[in-house]
Amino acid sequence: MTAFQSIMNIVRRRSIHVCYVDAGSCNGCGIEVLACLAPRYDIGQYGIVIHNNPREADILLVAGAFTPGWDDKLRILWDKIPAPKAAIAIGNCPQSGSVFNRRGSYIDPPVSKHIPVYANVSGCPPRPTEIIAAILAQIPKIFPDFKAEP
Amino acid sequence: MKKIVDISIPLGPVHPCFREPVRIMCETKGEYVLSCETELGYMKRGIERIMRGKPWQEVMFIAERVCGVCSVIHNMVFIESIEKISGIEVSPRALYLRVIANEFDRIQSHLLANISYCNTIGHETLAMYLLNERESVMDELERLTGARVTCSYIIPGGVRFDISDEEMRSIPVRLKKLEVNVNQWMNMFSTGPLIALRSRGIGILTEESARLNHAVGPLARGSGITFDCRLEHPVYQKLDFVSIVSNGKDNYARVMLRFSEIIQSIDLIKTALATLPGGLVRFGGIPKAGEITHSGEAPRGQLTYFIKTDDAGRIIDIAIETPSIMNIEVCMQKMIPGLESIADVASVFVSIDPCIACTER
Repeated sequence: MTAFQSIMNIVRRRSIHVCYVDAGSCNGCGIEVLACLAPRYDIGQYGIVIHNNPREADILLVAGAFTPGWDDKLRILWDKIPAPKAAIAIGNCPQSGSVFNRRGSYIDPPVSKHIPVYANVSGCPPRPTEIIAAILAQIPKIFPDFKAEP
Repeated sequence: MKKIVDISIPLGPVHPCFREPVRIMCETKGEYVLSCETELGYMKRGIERIMRGKPWQEVMFIAERVCGVCSVIHNMVFIESIEKISGIEVSPRALYLRVIANEFDRIQSHLLANISYCNTIGHETLAMYLLNERESVMDELERLTGARVTCSYIIPGGVRFDISDEEMRSIPVRLKKLEVNVNQWMNMFSTGPLIALRSRGIGILTEESARLNHAVGPLARGSGITFDCRLEHPVYQKLDFVSIVSNGKDNYARVMLRFSEIIQSIDLIKTALATLPGGLVRFGGIPKAGEITHSGEAPRGQLTYFIKTDDAGRIIDIAIETPSIMNIEVCMQKMIPGLESIADVASVFVSIDPCIACTER
């Protein structure tokens, strides 16, 4: 690894872009992710920006129990994110399907079958502080040995 | 003659302005929007199919997860339906506590709708102020029910637990502060010249087309139709509830109507706390067989449950009609076609406060 690359890896830890995708949740996790932006929790102080653009994201937040509408689309969206990248599953639905995982439902959990998931945040829904803690815990793991391809 | 090429522009399903996945296809001619249609199906979980054959104790929690934003009203309408089928007597104190929980839920939902609108038109300062205000309302909800989002507060015959004396004294004090702040942000929205440019006269829905297309909730009330399920609710009648109606018909009128409803909800909570009856908060009861169609006023409009149960309290058949499905259709057919700019499509769509999780279930 070149010196330039290692400096870049250190600097990029302070500027994390997060893309949020709802793959069939009840919206409860979505509003808790939105609440992270509030001045009380202030996710911006850690250099984290939440938006919905996969092309410039580093971390993908997935909520929901994977509905059939996302069958091919979530994989395409994951491939659009440039390396280095990580996916974090928010809530119980991406892990197990939660209350929706019953006979007759259309869902196909867990999300880790479809894209590689680095971390899970349990809760129905998890609190904003837990979501911020999960993102912050992943940041040092994404960048340490990343080597850009020429 | 020169041929003008019409371009089809897709918005979504992952879009910076939408919290939930939905795809809007706009047919445009230059900047003018000729027509548009939605592509739904990203959130279909099959909740009504899961509910069939399950005992009401289980369905209660699934009903709450139809929508995370307005979970209290889904819980309330489902439990009221079970009570009406079985003739279960409800504690008078619990009826008032239900109204208080429901109004707190309405305040946070309306604030969320206005936050989304301010974010969409690019006024991030006001969105952040409102987001901070919403956190204080979520705290009230947590103190009252024990959870921020999915509370499961309402059960047949009453509510899960009583409000403490300390809360009774401190809620009106904090509500007074909230009212002052909301009035301030409301004033900021109504006097902003750039907000008016993006909001006034955009996304017009006439009273006639709102009536013909069955618009409900703040969308209908913003177009001059007095339609509110709370007017028929016995507890709201005791609290002298009067529906707020605006005649503005545009984006600005709908956002201001939501601000006015927040102030009204604060007054309703204050009145309910002042006239709270005494006694126990939960009575017993056994669910019986029967069927019923029951409606309640969700933050987005009329919410209807059709429920059929058997002797053991199992749900044989259930159908849920949520408000957003009507509002999205009205928006697609009457409000978006004819807009002068493609940039207004997202703001008009967000101004009706769509909830895709409710719509697709």
